[in-house]
Formats: sequence, structure tokens, C-alpha cells
Amino acid sequence: MKNGPIYVLLADDDEDDRLFFKDVFDELKINTVVNMVNDGEELMKYLSRNDHTLPHMLFLDLNMPFKTGLECLTEIKKMDHLKEMAIAIYSTSASEKEIEETFVNGANIYIKKPSDFGTLKKILADVITINWQYQTSGLNRDNFLLSI
Amino acid sequence: MISKLNRMRLMAITANHIFLRSIFAASLFILIFISGITYRNTVSLTDSMEWVVQSYKFQTEVEQLFSLLKDAENSQRGFLIAGDSAFLEKYFESHKSVVKSFAKLDSLQTGNPQQQKNLKFLNQLIDLRLQQYDLSLKYGSDLFLNQEELTANMRKGSEITNLIDKQIDKIIDLESSNLKERQEKYEFKSFFVPWFTLFIMLFSLFVFVLAYVKINSDLEEQKRSNKKLLISTESMKHAEAIGEFFITQWDLKTNRYIFSDNLYRLLGCEPQSFKATAENFLKFVHPDDIHIVSNGTESTRQSSMVFPRTYRIIRKDGGVRYLKSMGKIITDSKGNLTHVSVAKDITQFQLSNMALEKRNQELLQSISELESFNHVASHDLQEPLRKIQTFISRISEKDQLIMDENSKEYFARIQASVSRMRTLIDDLLLYSRTTKTDKEFERTDLNLLLENTLQELSQQIEEKNAVIHTENLPALRVIPFQIQQLFYNLISNSLKYSKPGLAPIIKIECRKIETHENPELFSDSGKEYYKISVSDNGLGFEQEYANKVFELFNRLHIKGDYPGTGIGLSICKKIAENHSGVITAKSKPNEGAAFSVFLPD
Repeated sequence: MKNGPIYVLLADDDEDDRLFFKDVFDELKINTVVNMVNDGEELMKYLSRNDHTLPHMLFLDLNMPFKTGLECLTEIKKMDHLKEMAIAIYSTSASEKEIEETFVNGANIYIKKPSDFGTLKKILADVITINWQYQTSGLNRDNFLLSI
Repeated sequence: MISKLNRMRLMAITANHIFLRSIFAASLFILIFISGITYRNTVSLTDSMEWVVQSYKFQTEVEQLFSLLKDAENSQRGFLIAGDSAFLEKYFESHKSVVKSFAKLDSLQTGNPQQQKNLKFLNQLIDLRLQQYDLSLKYGSDLFLNQEELTANMRKGSEITNLIDKQIDKIIDLESSNLKERQEKYEFKSFFVPWFTLFIMLFSLFVFVLAYVKINSDLEEQKRSNKKLLISTESMKHAEAIGEFFITQWDLKTNRYIFSDNLYRLLGCEPQSFKATAENFLKFVHPDDIHIVSNGTESTRQSSMVFPRTYRIIRKDGGVRYLKSMGKIITDSKGNLTHVSVAKDITQFQLSNMALEKRNQELLQSISELESFNHVASHDLQEPLRKIQTFISRISEKDQLIMDENSKEYFARIQASVSRMRTLIDDLLLYSRTTKTDKEFERTDLNLLLENTLQELSQQIEEKNAVIHTENLPALRVIPFQIQQLFYNLISNSLKYSKPGLAPIIKIECRKIETHENPELFSDSGKEYYKISVSDNGLGFEQEYANKVFELFNRLHIKGDYPGTGIGLSICKKIAENHSGVITAKSKPNEGAAFSVFLPD
């Protein structure tokens, strides 16, 4: 991460959310490459290709057609070449059940989509700059849900 | 219990039968015995009398014999003296009569050995005497009368006569003593026999009276049991009609059935209108359920375990009824097995059960619909709102500089409306979550929950300079997060509706009460509750609104002054109800409000 851009991938079926996401990274002064997929199927296809750099960080929406975020999460965690990739759940809702399930299945952090652009910007900046390689060892349930 | 009683009664009846039979056997025996004895007595009495008569005859005959001998002697003497042959004829006649008389005497003698001996001797004497007569006659009638020999002979004859006389006396004496003995015997018998007969008669009379009394009492008993049986049979019929059940009896040995009248009625037929057989009954059983009934019949034969069975029948009029039957094997005193089965018409029950099941299904359906609605509310309704908010935040950030004051104001109002909408949705979700059926109760220290709540509200408490007084709370079986929610809603309410410019004082008190102290709240008495009250010195409200505050979306204040959705206290009420408790409110305008939660111990 010292050299070169941070590769970020967003999997979200909502066009508006993708727009906000893109706007945030356009405004942030961080060297990032943002790619986007529209649903779970597309995500899995994208991750299985080997003709491009794999993302360092995946932002995963839970409510998606064809393949839900949770299904994608469990599949990704079974793939050896994706083990290094940090996964942030990026969802509208944050029910106890969803938080529990995604935590158990190995997501790194749970972001509830905020309703303010400024807040969103701050969250994404914070999340992207965490050194995940270092952070994963200290993972625990209490700081799993990101609260800003 | 009842069967034990019946068995005892059965044993008593059996014992009765044995008793009656033995009385009759004894009576029969006594009767035969009496007849025998009476016959024998009568015979022996007659015998005794005959013996007496015979003795008399014997005595007379002896005397007759003696007099005949005397006659013969006289005739002989007359002949010897007068020489008249008429005497001689008379003598011969007497001679013959003596022989005849002796023969008669001999026939009359009774076998007494002494008397026999006596008679034998008499016979010899008589023979001797008769020879003597003949000899004397010969000497006397001889032309050559030998006086000397005649005299000697006569003397000798006289001696023999004397002997005969003595012998006859002896015989008469013996016979007299015989007679006396017989008379005594006869007298004894004629005295004893009637008494004996009388005694036996009386005894048998007693036995017969005893038997009569016994039979009579048995008949009475039987009459009573018949009456009881009649009453119980009638009441059973009545019960069958009212209770819509019937009874079948099946003799396992003879394979015969008895169907009660109500069976026919439940099948829509006239009582006893067809023969009671398994085949005839099976004709009414629903084709799909025949295996239940006939299988049951087979298994009944094999084991005494009988399970309840539910099956359908088709009435004569085509109506379908549900029956539930339960059987039992009854063993009688002779070891015969009878299968008694009671079947009840459970159609009403079955139908309402089915309806209930359907309603349950519908309810489950609507619950799951409600849950999916919750999901829709939490995701799909929130999503557009969040985006509106985000877009507004983008616009205001970028374009605030070029916007006029009006537009800014409008955007602020849109922003407020959207955020209010989101709060409403959140609160509604919270409310529906408290209604959820899966509640996990655990014994929890309420002090801990209160502490958490105060922690959560610490910022607001600080802002308002509020003073909180708490008392020690009990540990109860509760749903922890709900009770914490309850505390949160009540205390935040008190903070919200405080008097402007006055630091709120909030008291949380706890007291143990019994239900009868508040009869208007509790229908059951004798139970203990904890009354936990949260009171403040805030704005309060009119007591007449005390119940209204718990209604959904009900607010007592203008929106602008005090933001809120009107759901908080409804949630409190729901939580209290979830814990089988009650919540009440007491207030006066400007004098603060007190909310009391009653939770069962």
C-alpha cells in the first residue's frame, strides 16, 4: 500500500449509492482505483478473473439480486487467493442478525450507509486508510459495527 | 372402585345361591329321612301291636288246648264209666281237636327259644298223654278188662296231665311275660313315635320357614337391584342421547354384538332397525376409515390393550359425522370376555378443531406477512429517505453559496420532514419488535438495567442538569432489553417534558404490593407485584388523558415544541403487557407526572 494506488471495489445494485460512492472517492485526495459491479453474480465473476489487479478492499452491499452479499461473503472466504482482501459490509440496515452473520462469516467491518454525504466521506476515508493487514489481528465484535 | 364393588356384589349373589341350594338339599334329605323314619315307625308300631295280639291269641289257644285235653279226658272217663260209645266219639273228636289246637298253637308261637322248648316239651307230654288215653281206652274197652293195668295207666295219665298242667302254666307264664314285654314296647313306641314325628315335622317346618324367609329377602333384594338396574339403564340411555355417545357390547366367545339404541339414532336409523353385527355397522363407516375400525376389531381379539380411535361414519341421510371410540375388555365371573366400547360423536369438536387449525394457519401467515412488512419498512422505506437526505446534503454543501434564503429554508424543512419520517419508521419498527412472540425471559437485576439506561441518557441528563433519585430494585424474570427500553422511554420522557428553566428531579421508586391493594388493576388476588414508579416535576398533563398517552401516535403537545412520534409510551405499555404487568399514569398540569409499572414477582 506504500506504493501505487489502493484498489477498491464496490458491489451494490443501487445506482444512486454507486454514484455517492464514486463522488466520495473523486473528492478524496487519496490515490485509489475504484471499480464497481452491479450485483453478486457480477462480483463473483469479476473476482475470478485474473487479468487485472485484485482489489485491496471490497465494499459489499447485502441486499442484492441474484446473489446476496452474505452468499458472496461466504464464497469469497472459501477462496484462497482472496484471503488477503479486506471486506467491509456496506448496507442500508443494520439488524442484529445481519451484523452477527457477517461477523461470523469473516467480514472486517460493518458500515451502515449514512444519510449525509459529509458523514459518508469521513467514514470511507477512515476505512480506506486503516492498515487492514495489521488490524485483522485485533478484530472483535465490539468495534465491528463502525460508528462515527 | 366401582368394579370392585360390583365384584363384591357378584360374590355375595354367588354365596347366596350356594346357601339356597344347600338349604334345598338339606330339606330334601330331611324329607326323605322323615318319610323313612315315619314309615319304619308305623311299621314297627303295627308290628308291636300284632305281636301283642298274637300273644293274646297264643294264650287263648293254650287255654283252649288245655280245656280240649280236659274234654278228652272227661269223654274218656265218661266212656270208661258209662261205656257209652257216644263218649267215645266225643273223645275222638277232642283228640283230633287237641292235635289241631296244638298245630295252631305251634303256628302262633313267635320263635322265642324258651317258648319253643316249652312247646316241644308240651308236645311230647301231649303225645304221651294222648297215648295214655288211647292205652287207657284200650284197656278200658277191652272185654277182658284189666282193672289193675287200667288203674295204673290212669294214674300214670293223671300224672302226665299234671305235668301238662304245669307245662301249660309255664308256657302261659312265659307268654304273659312276653306279652307284658311286648305291651311295654308297644306303649313305648306309641308314645315315642308321635313325639319324634312331631319333632321332625317342627324341624322341617323351621327349615322351610328359613328357606322361605331367605328366598323372600333374596327376591326383595333382586327387586331392588332390578329397580336400580332399570334406573341405571334408563339414565344410561338418557346420557347417551344427551352426550351423543353409544355403547356396543361384543361377546368375544359367541361373536355376538349388542348395540345401544343411540347407535342407531346417531346413524340416522330407528333404534334396533337392523341386526347388530360388525358387517352391518361397517356399512355406515366412511370408506376411507374402514381400516381403522376393522383393524381395531382384529387387534382387540389379540390383546387387551385398546387405543382410542377416531373415524368417520356416513349417516343414513348422507351426513358425515366424526366418532371417537374407546373400548375395554370386561371379564365376567365365568371368565367370558366381553368387549365394551363407548363411541362419542365428536363432529362438533372435530370441526371446530379444524377451523381453529385453519385460523391458526392464517394467523401464522399474517404474522409472517407482518414480518416481511417489517423487513420492507426497515429496508425499502428507509432507502429512498436516506437517499433524499444524502442528495440534500450534497446540494446544500455545494450550492449553499448560490442559493437564496427561501430555498435554504425549504431545504431545511425538507430535511426536517425526512428525518422525522425516518424516526417514525424506526419507532414503528421498535414497537413491532416488542410485539414479537419469541421472548426470552431471564432473571435479571433491574438495577443493572436502570444503570445502563442512565448511562445511555447521561448526555441529556447533563444538558438539563437533571437530578435522578433511585431506589434499590429487585431482580425479576424479564426480557432484559425490553425493560431497559421501558426505563429509557420513561426517563427520557421526563427529561423531555421538563418545565423550562427548572432542573428536572426524577425519582425512581420501588415497592412490593399485593394485588388486592389495587383491585381496579388486577382481577386475580393474592399475587405479589413490584410497583416501580418514575415520577418527575415536569409539565404533567390533565389526568383525563392518563389513558390516552399510551395509545399509538397519541401526543399531548404540538409537534414543533416537543419532537416525538407518540410511540414511546405505547411501547412501554406493550412491554408491561409482555411481562404480564400493568402501566398507569398519574398527573396534574404543571405538577409533574408519575408513571407506575407493576411487574409480577
